[in-house]
Amino acid sequence: MQNFIEISDISKTYWSADGKTETKVVLPLSMTVAEGEMVMFLGPSGCGKTTLMRMVGGLETPEAGTIALRGERLAGPDRRRGMVFQSYSSFPWLTVRDNIRFGTRYRRDLSKAEKDEITDHYLQMVGLGRYRNFYTNRISGGMRQRVAIARTLASSPDVLLMDEPFGALDAQTREFLQFQLMDINTREKKTTIFVTHDVEEAILLANRIVIFSSRPARVIREIDVDALIPAEDRRAGTADMPTFFDLRAEILKIIREEYKHSLEDA
Amino acid sequence: MPQSLFAFRKSLDRRTEMVLGVLGFILFLSAWHLTAVSGAIRPEFLPTPLAVAEAFVRLFTERGFAEDIVISVGRVWFAFLLSVAVAVPLGLYMSTYRVVGAILEPFIDFVRYLPVPALVPLLVIWFGVGEASKIAVLWMGTFFQLILLIADDTKRVPAEYVEAGHTLGASNGEIMRHIIIPAALPNMIDNLRITLGWCWTYLIIAEIVAANSGIGHVIWSLRRFVKTPEVMAGIIAIGIIGLLTDQAFRYAHRRAFAYLRK
Repeated sequence: MQNFIEISDISKTYWSADGKTETKVVLPLSMTVAEGEMVMFLGPSGCGKTTLMRMVGGLETPEAGTIALRGERLAGPDRRRGMVFQSYSSFPWLTVRDNIRFGTRYRRDLSKAEKDEITDHYLQMVGLGRYRNFYTNRISGGMRQRVAIARTLASSPDVLLMDEPFGALDAQTREFLQFQLMDINTREKKTTIFVTHDVEEAILLANRIVIFSSRPARVIREIDVDALIPAEDRRAGTADMPTFFDLRAEILKIIREEYKHSLEDA
Repeated sequence: MPQSLFAFRKSLDRRTEMVLGVLGFILFLSAWHLTAVSGAIRPEFLPTPLAVAEAFVRLFTERGFAEDIVISVGRVWFAFLLSVAVAVPLGLYMSTYRVVGAILEPFIDFVRYLPVPALVPLLVIWFGVGEASKIAVLWMGTFFQLILLIADDTKRVPAEYVEAGHTLGASNGEIMRHIIIPAALPNMIDNLRITLGWCWTYLIIAEIVAANSGIGHVIWSLRRFVKTPEVMAGIIAIGIIGLLTDQAFRYAHRRAFAYLRK
C-alpha cells in the first residue's frame, strides 16, 4: 500500500528575536502515516510535536524536506487537512448548527440540500441536536470542542489534525469525548494525527504512538498499540489492565528520561 | 429587594440601572439649583436650571435652533461616514498585509499627534470658510484615530479562527469576509460609537472658528451678550444629542450582537 502521508527529511528552525540564535525545533525527520490510521504524537512539552503537526497542516512552512499526501507534495493549508485546536475555535457569532455548517461552506461541489444533510448528520453524531440554536459561548467547553470536531469533519478532510483538543477540559468531559472520538473514528475511519501530552489518552485512542525526543524532535520510539491491546477491548473498556499499566509506565519512563536530558542540555 | 445595591462586583438589573441613572441627573440638578438660589454665585455666571430650561425653549421658538441642530448633526454624520468609508477598508488591509501597515503606521502616528485645532487655520486657507473646511476638520480629527482602532480590532481576531478558515478551504478573501470581519465587528462598532463622540468636539471647534450656522456658532455668538442661560442650553443640547446617539448605538449593538450577551 502506498503511504498516505509521507514526511521526508523535514526540518524546522526558530530564530531568536534578534536573529542571532537558532533553535532547531525539528531535525531532519521522516515518517509515514497509513490511510485510516490514528497516530498519537507524544513527547516532552515543547519538543516540537505540535510544530511537526502544523507543518503537515500547512500552517507552518518547513525549512527543508517535503510532506506528501497520496504522493502529492503539499504546500499551504487547504481543505484536505482539517484542524482541531486546543483553544475553542468555534465562531461565537454563529449558532452550533451554523458553526458545523460552516465546515461545508467551501465544498463547492455540494448543493444546499446536501450541505444541510451533512450538517445534520454531524450535529447528531456529536450529540448536539438539542443545542443546535445555541450560540457557542453559551455552551460548555466540551460541547465547543465537539462543535469544532463536527465542523472539521463536515469539511470532509482527508486528514484530521488534532492539537491537544481535550487538553483544556476537565477529566470527566475529556474521558467522555475520548470515547466519543473513538466511536466517530470507528465510523469515519479518518486518518488522524493527534498531539497530546496525556499518556493514557494516547494509549486509549492510538493505533500507533510516536514518541518524540526533547527539542529538536526526533522519533525515539514507535509503539504499535493495536498489537498490544486490541482496539475493540479499549473501546469496550475491557482492555487487559496489567498490559495497559505496563505500557503506560514504560512510556512515562521514556518521556521522563527525555525531559531530564532536555534540562541537562539547557 | 432581591439583591443588595452594594453587592461587590455584581451587576444590577436594567430597571435599577435606569432608576439610578435618572437619580444621578436629579442629584446634579438639585445641587446646581441650590447653589444658584443660594446667591453665592451671581446669576450672570450661574443661572438656575429653570432659567436654562426657559432659555432652551426660547432658542427653539425665537432663534430657529432646530435648524442649527440639523446643520450640526448633518456635518457630524457626513464627516463621520466619510471617515468610516476610508478608515475601515484601510484599517482592515493594514492589519492583514504587513506591507500596508509598515507604510502607513509611522505616518499615521505622526499625523495623529498633530492637534486638530492647530490645523484649522491651514484647513480654512485650503478649503475656505464654507462647509468643506468644517468637514475637513472633523475628518482630520477622526480618520487617523479610527484607522488605528480598526486595525487593532482586526489584529485581535484569534489566529485560530483564521487558521481554521484556511483548513476549511476558505480563500483569503473569504476569510476576510466570512471570519475576520464578523469576528471584529462588535469591537469595530464600539469604536465607531466612540469616534462619533469625538466628532462633536471637533465640530464645535470648527463652528466657533468659522461658521454662521450650527450649534457651536449659536453658543459662541450668544456668549458676546453674556446670555449665560442660552449658552448653557446650547451646551446641554449637545449633551442630549450625544446621549441619544450613544444610546441608539448601544441598543443597535445589543440587537445586532445578541450572542455577546451573557
